Amino acid sequence: MTSPTRINLIGGLLDLPLVDKNGAYCGVVDDIELSDEVDQPPTVRHLLVGPGAYRGRLPAWILPLVRAVAGTRVTRVPWEAIDRVDSCVTLTDTADALGLHLSENRVRAVIPRRGAW
Amino acid sequence: MTAVGGFVDISELVFAAQAGSAFGYALIWVFAFATIGIMVFGEMSGRVAAIAKQPVFNLMRHRLGLKLGLVTLLASLLSNLITCAAEIGGMAIILHLLTGVGTMPLAIASVAVLIATIWVLPFKWIERTYGLLGLCMIVFAVALVKMRPPWADIAAGLVPQVPSNLSPKELVTFAYFTVAIISAVMFPYEAYFYSSGAIEERWGAKDLTINRLTCVVGFALGSLLAISILASSAQLFGPANIDPQLPGSAALQAAIPLGRPGLLLALLGMLFAIAGAAVETCLANAYSAAQFFGWQWGRHRKPWDAPRFTVAWIGLMLLALAIVMTGIEPLKLVEYAILSSILVLPLTYLPLLLLARDRHFMRAHRNGVLANILGWGFFVVILIAAIMAAPLFILTSGGQL
Repeated sequence: MTSPTRINLIGGLLDLPLVDKNGAYCGVVDDIELSDEVDQPPTVRHLLVGPGAYRGRLPAWILPLVRAVAGTRVTRVPWEAIDRVDSCVTLTDTADALGLHLSENRVRAVIPRRGAW
Repeated sequence: MTAVGGFVDISELVFAAQAGSAFGYALIWVFAFATIGIMVFGEMSGRVAAIAKQPVFNLMRHRLGLKLGLVTLLASLLSNLITCAAEIGGMAIILHLLTGVGTMPLAIASVAVLIATIWVLPFKWIERTYGLLGLCMIVFAVALVKMRPPWADIAAGLVPQVPSNLSPKELVTFAYFTVAIISAVMFPYEAYFYSSGAIEERWGAKDLTINRLTCVVGFALGSLLAISILASSAQLFGPANIDPQLPGSAALQAAIPLGRPGLLLALLGMLFAIAGAAVETCLANAYSAAQFFGWQWGRHRKPWDAPRFTVAWIGLMLLALAIVMTGIEPLKLVEYAILSSILVLPLTYLPLLLLARDRHFMRAHRNGVLANILGWGFFVVILIAAIMAAPLFILTSGGQL
């Protein structure tokens, strides 16, 4: 049996924003991956980040639309990379090092770097 | 001061002028009542941002879950987009009155200037520029004083009332105006923009007094401007049976008592106030999307340091322009904006109420007894207004007398 404390932990993590060690937003906890070892209590292995993790959390009829608009990318953030959890999940490393800023970097490449005060 | 100048937008302009013309001073209390509502929820959204260090939409998804959060996001995106289009249409009409050039080229020019402003200026200067220039609208209060209105009747309008001499059709229209004014004063984008602005300006616990002052004093003075428009419309347009449907009609309320300078100040004040609202609705939409999906966001960052947020606000501004370019009348857009906003309001303010009373996030700064009573009281009001909005809209054909 999973204790109430563990259930609260998962409920408390889901849909919280992720912030890297420099304070940059780098996604939202879209789902959680638990260990599935036989005869062992389940533990959180990874936080799943990206639209590919919406399967099972959204109605099936909307998933093709989500796939078409946002893709199916999922980034796995290891539990060890979590520094603390309060009103956001703060990570111990940078978003780039954890592979969480791929889309930001792709869009950044097309934005002109001039004119802003 | 920026809260005062930024309080009035095109919906309030149109509905205040129409309400005054149609029902005299009888709807002043609705403005006052809804202003207390936006004070309550504005204060909560600023306090949540200052203490939890996260804006409303970041935590809304955590509170509502992905499914209901996504529904709220899509509904508020649509509502704010229509509102933004209405503001751009309103800017084009006022610029047309000032220059005589066609409204479509002026809508394009307006959007170009708005995009350039948001790109070039950091957040605090965007807010100050439009908010302070919008203060030209104080001319409406000056014009009202110059008219020597019956102050006792205006003060009596603050008492909740339904005029006794209305026909059934007028009674339904009165109810529609009541709902529309609540929606116009409590637009959902205001909470998103205000809480995101608090993060942009790095508010903390030390800023809670400023938060309270901004919401109470700033919104109260802003509401007085809207009430001035309603009262002077009751003075000028009501007795002449004029229905001031166009945003520009309100400018006549300053022109008649104050002449050409009054007209110019009124038009410029309306232009900057509406332009500020266009910026707020557009940024509120980009904030919501960025916060929901966890993107980098904010205009305290350079545009290239929040790339998806930047693409979002530019795209949304262009989409709003595209709606205007279809040729839909700005007044129709205002009506759709009012209707869609009131439907979104309960979804916007419920998670805010839950967050503001959350011991885990807010600790010692969670809602007290008064904030909870006022918050839940106004939540019931907006829930009833949301249920009544669509039937009243259909029954009155969008408030037509």
